[in-house]
Amino acid sequence: MASPVSTAIPSSQLTVRKPRFRWRDTRDGVLMSAPAIIGLIAFVAVPFITAIVLSLYNVQADMAREPRFWGFTHYIRLFTDPILSGTFLRSLLNNLVFALVVIPVQTGLALVLAVLLNRKLRGMKFFRTFFFMPVVFPMALVAVIWRLILERGDDGLLNASVSVITGGLVPAHDWLGSSATALGSVILLSIWQGVGFQMVILLAALQEIPEERYEAARLDRANGWQQFRHITIPGIRNTLIFVTLLTTILAFRVYDQVYILIRTAGANEEATQTLLYTGTKAIFSENNLGRASAISVVLFVIIVIITLVQRGLLRQRSEG
Amino acid sequence: MTITRTMRRGMVAAVAFTATALLVTGCSAGGSGAAAGDGAGDIDVWALQGQDSENAALQAAVDGFNGSQSDVTAKLRLIASDTYTTTITSTPKDQLPDVLQIDGPTLASYVYNGKLTPISDHVSQETIDNATAGSIAEGTADGELYALAQFDSAMGLYGNKAMLDAAGVTYPTSIDTAWTAEEFETALSALSGSSPSGKALDLNEAGLAGEWGTYAFAPFVWSAGGNLLEDNTATGALDSAASVDALTQVAGWKPFVDSNADSKVFPDGRVALGIGGHWNYPTYSEALGDDLLVMPLPDFGTGAKAGAGSLTWGIGSGTQDGKAAGAFMDYLLNDESVTAMTQANGAPPATKSAFDADPLYKEGGPLALFGEQLANACASDDITDTCVAVYRPITAGYPTVTSQFSSALSAIWGGADPAKALGDAATSIDQNFADNDGYQQ
Repeated sequence: MASPVSTAIPSSQLTVRKPRFRWRDTRDGVLMSAPAIIGLIAFVAVPFITAIVLSLYNVQADMAREPRFWGFTHYIRLFTDPILSGTFLRSLLNNLVFALVVIPVQTGLALVLAVLLNRKLRGMKFFRTFFFMPVVFPMALVAVIWRLILERGDDGLLNASVSVITGGLVPAHDWLGSSATALGSVILLSIWQGVGFQMVILLAALQEIPEERYEAARLDRANGWQQFRHITIPGIRNTLIFVTLLTTILAFRVYDQVYILIRTAGANEEATQTLLYTGTKAIFSENNLGRASAISVVLFVIIVIITLVQRGLLRQRSEG
Repeated sequence: MTITRTMRRGMVAAVAFTATALLVTGCSAGGSGAAAGDGAGDIDVWALQGQDSENAALQAAVDGFNGSQSDVTAKLRLIASDTYTTTITSTPKDQLPDVLQIDGPTLASYVYNGKLTPISDHVSQETIDNATAGSIAEGTADGELYALAQFDSAMGLYGNKAMLDAAGVTYPTSIDTAWTAEEFETALSALSGSSPSGKALDLNEAGLAGEWGTYAFAPFVWSAGGNLLEDNTATGALDSAASVDALTQVAGWKPFVDSNADSKVFPDGRVALGIGGHWNYPTYSEALGDDLLVMPLPDFGTGAKAGAGSLTWGIGSGTQDGKAAGAFMDYLLNDESVTAMTQANGAPPATKSAFDADPLYKEGGPLALFGEQLANACASDDITDTCVAVYRPITAGYPTVTSQFSSALSAIWGGADPAKALGDAATSIDQNFADNDGYQQ
């Protein structure tokens, strides 16, 4: 702002100018960030505060009766009501299991795929496209395809394959309907659909690692594993952290495939329901706006806690 | 920064709706009563966007009405089917149109919210007298008539005559000779043995968790002497021994049921029996020709029962032109409009005169049995041994009832204990009714 020449300008002028400059900066800043800030307030802050308020009321969507203040009744019911808490805690558990399996497996698999696809071979573009393709498919389509694969009849793709491999020893299994395998099936198809996205992000990070580091490592007779462990991993560390956080959040938001499989493919509802599914069902199937809001508030709190813990842990290590 | 934003965005999907809904609940408390008007002017008509042929039939009826007189001009607005109910639900009553189409089971909740006005004052007595018993049962809430239908729906058991004969299974030819639960299971077992797929029945298993579950499987509960609600209470009805027995029987069919992943298992002749609705008839009759049989659902004790009910027409409570709206409804429910519509969608007509003339459903027609079912219709709180077609419960709490019932049904189908699943569903329904003061005004 103030150039060396400014010493020649009378100080009175300076004091007038400076605030005007700052004011203009502030004004421009406010103007430029206004669309985003208004958007955040209108689409994030207001709905979220509304949800907190609504969760304290007994309110049905489209009901003529006035909403009635209920305090924490919705929350107490979610955690203690003999029937309601069964559904709610089960969907919470399903979410946790889903996250615990999907985060390491999907990130790990994405890393393996990215490393494999980072080699300079003929036709590599074809393979990259091929592995990325499921990401482009809408989840509705993916669920319909996997419905056919997981079909409970003898001619379901998976059942038929198992039968051929084992020579007919293993009978047909109801992969989606059985409570033992339903969640596993959902996890499997979710990873299949989602892994390509993480893979592409990691692939981009891998290509940022300078080739010289590998050359130097080879001169030092580092083997493949040592190169991977000490050059590749540190080289993509920040991207890995980002991918892990992203996967965590996506894992708690799982909804589309669960809804489609339960509603159109006879998937076991108890074993596959997630928090978002339970919340959406409360509002769209049962018009229970208060309970749906309480469920989304609980989901929000859980995601915030997990994200804070994860970020705390990962930041500590990067500083150490 | 990206992370927190992404995370929050996840919440928005669930939460954004709540803000809208709050505004809507706030608004819907106001509103004005219906006025008869002078029988002239413009009226708005909202309808669900169906198949092209249905939309064309509806547009023709509107054009016909506008051409038939010069006082009233009706304007038709079609709304996509997947958002139709949500649209009506979230529109304040003073912004609803003069005439609107309503999905039968949701009628009571709109009446409860004051969105509809009784139609007896506006629609002519001939039109009301010409409505089928089913149309009246479906459109009546709290003792008042709020809606009349152009068409109804019918469902039952389709059979493949060639496959039944090949397996040496005798089958019912009338409602009175419906299979009992035991006979049905014996038939399933015999048909499975002789079928190349080893299965005997298609019951649209994939749809059990949705409205199909309540529409097609509550009839077994009714037939067994159980019910979904009695005096607005589910405990004692939905979890009664009769209801539990009914769904235990249904779940017992699972080994004989094909999951029907390609939706063609019955028309392709891979199973001999299929539970389905009138909308399946065109495909099935084309595939099987003279081999297609239409049978009643199995009788679980108190006579065979069947699901029924479809879209119906009502008058918005905010209308200022009740008389004009009534005149439009009269035109919509005349033989010409009803016949054009049912020819377009194959549904059973819901007016007596059109029904009697319908080649599909009248005596001797291919779907005469479905017609006979609908001729013996009753509401679910007034079930007798002789009535066959039963309309789903008319209560503002219906969304919870159907959601809980279909969830319980699909859990039982998946192997859950029927007594526990239905007991939990009954408790949840009663809790919802208690939370809303029993949905009394």
